[in-house]
Amino acid sequence: MSFPKKPGKALDILKNLPRITLANLRPEPGSIKADKRLGRGQHGGNRSGRGHKGQRQRGNRPRLGFEGGHTPFYLSIPKYGYNEGHSLRPQYQPLSLKRLQYLIDLGRVDPSQPIDLTQLVNGRGVTIQPLKRDYGVQLVDEGADIFAAKINIEVQRASEGAIAAIERNGGVITTGFYDPISLGILIKPVPFFLRGQPIPKRMLPGQDMVPFYTDAENRGYLADPEKIQQARLALAQKYGYILPDISKDELYHMLAMRKDVRQIFFGLAPGWVVNMSEKKILKPTDEKLLKYYRS
Amino acid sequence: MAASIVCGRTSMFFRSLNGISCSKTLLSANSQTLLLQTASYNPKPLRLKLREPYIPDRSSEKTPDWQKTPRYDRKLFGRYGSASGIDPASLWPNHEQLERIIEEENQWHPPLEVMLKNLQEEERQDTEKRQAKEKLIAANMAKMPKMIADWRKEKLQKKTKMNEEKTRRSKLLAEARESLGQTLDPRNHKFLEMVAELEKEEKKKQKVMKKKQKHEQAAVPPPPPPPVAAP
Repeated sequence: MSFPKKPGKALDILKNLPRITLANLRPEPGSIKADKRLGRGQHGGNRSGRGHKGQRQRGNRPRLGFEGGHTPFYLSIPKYGYNEGHSLRPQYQPLSLKRLQYLIDLGRVDPSQPIDLTQLVNGRGVTIQPLKRDYGVQLVDEGADIFAAKINIEVQRASEGAIAAIERNGGVITTGFYDPISLGILIKPVPFFLRGQPIPKRMLPGQDMVPFYTDAENRGYLADPEKIQQARLALAQKYGYILPDISKDELYHMLAMRKDVRQIFFGLAPGWVVNMSEKKILKPTDEKLLKYYRS
Repeated sequence: MAASIVCGRTSMFFRSLNGISCSKTLLSANSQTLLLQTASYNPKPLRLKLREPYIPDRSSEKTPDWQKTPRYDRKLFGRYGSASGIDPASLWPNHEQLERIIEEENQWHPPLEVMLKNLQEEERQDTEKRQAKEKLIAANMAKMPKMIADWRKEKLQKKTKMNEEKTRRSKLLAEARESLGQTLDPRNHKFLEMVAELEKEEKKKQKVMKKKQKHEQAAVPPPPPPPVAAP
């Protein structure tokens, strides 16, 4: 997006500069802060910045929040259920379109392949903590005006503006659900393969999340494809852009790639064992196992 | 010198692409064609530490128990592959374990159709409740004009009754004052006696009136029946 058309004067200057050595380098002013050395010299010594006698100098101050004995502020305010059930609330790490464009520009995320949570985490674009009730990533429409990349992206939630921005540029967006175990496998595939376990099936969302993922407005992965097409047209009318026809695109095959409902990785089915040391994939042959993994 | 730096930087970038060689990029840089100087992202190399495999001796007693578990066996296979000497068939659940897994899944993860049905059921119940409530409200609101009118009538009646009471009491007071020559307190016993006497006289008059009315009514109906009974 912001590349120079041809190498300019900067490259010419660079070619004529001398070799970089330690003698030519200096840290950025303001980046290195000097240490605090107590007990040395006129200013660091004597009481070493601790004050005169008492709890201050002797390091015996009471706990944080203590106000001398009367009921402190943090105890006098009554409780209210703001945080009630907070550990049962799913959280979604926000990913702005501005950051996504930044990652694509720097080459950390490849737009010529379907973009998945694995790709985002590999490019260190987002950090997901499944153990902290993270259920994935959500697209936020900050930077929708500067977004200009045609991508096939799969997230867990997306705002309407973000969906519009992606579809305006001829891309495809899907929202998919990953249960916590599948999410842990998705963000760290290699440690999972080293465990030697077969790839599990991705579970369906809980009853309260099913309406969200069956809704075409949210581009849910359980929704009807025709309704999604209608929703795309409706959104284009609402936001005032012409919906580009993806079927005539040269990357149509890549843009049309979508995961199966039970699939975690593209190209890998549940039940397979991936071995990293020998670079082999083992597939089960037992009928019952096959039936279970295909259900 | 600077060119070598450029070559070095671009070569680092293109090594990951496994395509273009260094000399090509140098040529393209010199010929000033469309070379996109993208910054590259180099992740730290993946150190899998798969050197000499340590495979614990299953028969000896010195090896700790946790190194003989199927979970550890799977991890060994994951790290070393077939060199670990573990039968890959043991990685998948056997039939009993599979049955247990299927049972658990059927209990805790109902299929999509069941969930959609449950949702529809819930929605239906909600709408029913809401509609019943709305009906009740509508019915009660339809009754409201009549109830308001009744209440107003009642209020009016009470008011008129109060006014009558007032006028009656004032009349009585005036009479008492005339008869006794002094303004009496309504609570005074003389006044009360007077009131009682007046009431008695009124009652007698009413009784007489009622008797008269009854006689009149009794006189009217008898004539019609006898002419019918004769023939």
